Amino acid sequence: MRYRDNPAVRFVCFVLIPLLILIICAMNRGHYYSDLICLFGINAILAVSLNLVNGFSGMFSMGHAAFMAVGAYTSALLTISESQKGRMAGLPAWFQTFTLPFPLALLCAGAAAALLALLIGFPVLRLKNHYLSVATLGLIVIVRAFLDNEDQFTNGARGITGLPSYSNIVTVFVTALLLLYIMYRLIRCSSYGRGLIAMRDDDVAAQTLGVRLVTKKISIFCLSAFAAGIGGALWGHLQSVISGQFFYFTDSFEIVEMSIIGGMFSLSGGIVGALVMTFLPEILAPLETGLVIGGVQLPELYGASNLILAVLLILLIIFRRQGILGYSEIIMESIFSKRTYTGLFQARTYRDLAAATRAKLAGIGKGKQTCK
Amino acid sequence: MKKKLFGAVLTAAVLASSMTAMAEEETIKIGALFNLTGGQASIDTPSYQGFKLRADEINAAGGINGRQIEVISYDGKTDQATCANNAKKMIDVDGCVVVSGFSDSNYALAAGAIAQERQVPFVITGATLPDLCEQIGDYAFMVPFGDDTCAYAAAEYAYAEIGTKCYMMVDQSMEFTKTLASCFEERFTELGGEIVGSDSYMNGDPDFSAQIDRFLNDEGGSEFLFFSSVPNDAGPLVLQFRDKGVTLPIVSGDGFDTPLVAEVAGDQAYDVYISTHCSYTNEAENVQNFVKAYTDAYGTAPENAFAALGYDAMDLIGKALEKVEDPTDTAAIRDAIESTTDFKGVTGTISYTADSHKPDKTASILELVDGQFQFITEE
Repeated sequence: MRYRDNPAVRFVCFVLIPLLILIICAMNRGHYYSDLICLFGINAILAVSLNLVNGFSGMFSMGHAAFMAVGAYTSALLTISESQKGRMAGLPAWFQTFTLPFPLALLCAGAAAALLALLIGFPVLRLKNHYLSVATLGLIVIVRAFLDNEDQFTNGARGITGLPSYSNIVTVFVTALLLLYIMYRLIRCSSYGRGLIAMRDDDVAAQTLGVRLVTKKISIFCLSAFAAGIGGALWGHLQSVISGQFFYFTDSFEIVEMSIIGGMFSLSGGIVGALVMTFLPEILAPLETGLVIGGVQLPELYGASNLILAVLLILLIIFRRQGILGYSEIIMESIFSKRTYTGLFQARTYRDLAAATRAKLAGIGKGKQTCK
Repeated sequence: MKKKLFGAVLTAAVLASSMTAMAEEETIKIGALFNLTGGQASIDTPSYQGFKLRADEINAAGGINGRQIEVISYDGKTDQATCANNAKKMIDVDGCVVVSGFSDSNYALAAGAIAQERQVPFVITGATLPDLCEQIGDYAFMVPFGDDTCAYAAAEYAYAEIGTKCYMMVDQSMEFTKTLASCFEERFTELGGEIVGSDSYMNGDPDFSAQIDRFLNDEGGSEFLFFSSVPNDAGPLVLQFRDKGVTLPIVSGDGFDTPLVAEVAGDQAYDVYISTHCSYTNEAENVQNFVKAYTDAYGTAPENAFAALGYDAMDLIGKALEKVEDPTDTAAIRDAIESTTDFKGVTGTISYTADSHKPDKTASILELVDGQFQFITEE
């Protein structure tokens, strides 16, 4: 038995350790590293939801930034106080004093993004491949132009400042787990998901088997936008400042990068991609500011982390096109399947673990790895 | 073998970190947050260099009350989210007692909110939104003047010396450019000038031919162009208008105060007038000393006024820190900065009051001559 299939190993790696990290961070609320972990949670929502469209439905959307923007602005307008809305004269009078509790604002943010996806879904999803990508890029431009120029609703290019900081480890990760669970069940444990994958692999064949392509495409696009809207809203409440600039091509590309690096064809891939893209720049940051190695001061290399990331992406595309995780769903399975938890209470799990370890040790003795 | 290697690397890492820890003892940490890559790089990099220059000078002269300054710098990457994150990192992880930086209000707003929340003074080196400090809060201070001053000076000079009919090009994606344009229009029309037409574009547009064609179709008798632009669009704007045969004078604000105009537009960069923070052809002693020190340190003359703004910001922070007994008490530092009066900087005199953290300074009008900005007048 392989280590990675063992429930105990899975539990420790994908449930226990992350949970411990989260608990430690939850106790240090608002600290830089806690916020970084929150950012990872939000990125995971965004990358996984993008995988729904890009990896599982055979379409390629780059418009995530637009849905994030809609979500973030919706939630912002629903939660900021009356005085902050003062400059936005276009809002109706009853709305000036109207606020919603955070969970409801989040739902509205998702719904608004999904509504936008529904509206543009009908014309845009008729396009295929590159054409669809370009159309979704167009959507970003439209949303940005609206945000920057409709001052009376959005406060213009200045953006909205002072969003209540509702995003913390608890809210972000509860939301993320809920969304990930819904997406996981839908894709991996339902006929809907199987139909979707059939459509991706061969849409004509899927259609002859009774898969309704239009419904599938639009519904998954909306669902993805819903999650992106919520991600955007959480992000806004984490940064406490939003403006049109936040949600533009580069941000969309960054999510596409996460999805490609982690693996488009697996939901867990989105999580790995988010992990890499959130923490790698952080690890590379000392390079830019002139790292001191053994007393030797390296020169300041601003921009170095961007270059290294770009080179890594190119190498990944050449040598591992399916992304780091490929088609494996190991993280999602470990977290959401019952087997991980029931397995902990079965003696067999530990017998297997011991046997695997013995085999591995014996393998090292022989100078060869025989245990697979 | 692998294990040995790993062990060696680990030891080296521990050694390195303990050595840096020793060096960091007893220093005062000041955060320098600038956009060193991306669209803002051409104005933020000189600003950062000016900032570092002053910090090095203070350290060489014995530091502040015997303690050395350590400048902690991160790259904002011309991205608001990165700016906000790095502001957090400077304060939470590195323990900076003052954060300084930025030449554009969008980024200053993002980082300023973080500093305000953590009650750490935030000294803005070059962002000029007139109500920036009111928007951020009582821990924010501006070293430059506001856009209103800059735009009024440009409008007054243009009306008196260049012409009374103006055609405007406004970047619609930035708060700075929109504010600059509206202030310019306000003063220019007040003086009796006329805005005969205006057009818009978005920051980072590579091609302005549609706007230029619209302009050529209906010039409306305009006598000069006013570009409300940020640095990375400045060069392409001038070049493309000139390439299409537009020879009218061009007027702009401090967003045009970048070597990029001359570098990108080359010979075509003529008849360009800007309103900015200071001029290095000014004969005043402190200005010339700064130019000399900067040239000695970096091998080039200061690229633009933002270098001096960075220098002044660090100077101002240093003077305030000298007055504070405990340099980890951020509230005391804030009060010390607020009590600044008659601070003589390279870019002018700065005084703050409890009501206004925006100094009342004058703007310099410069003309681009042979690739260099030359001082014309002060408004």
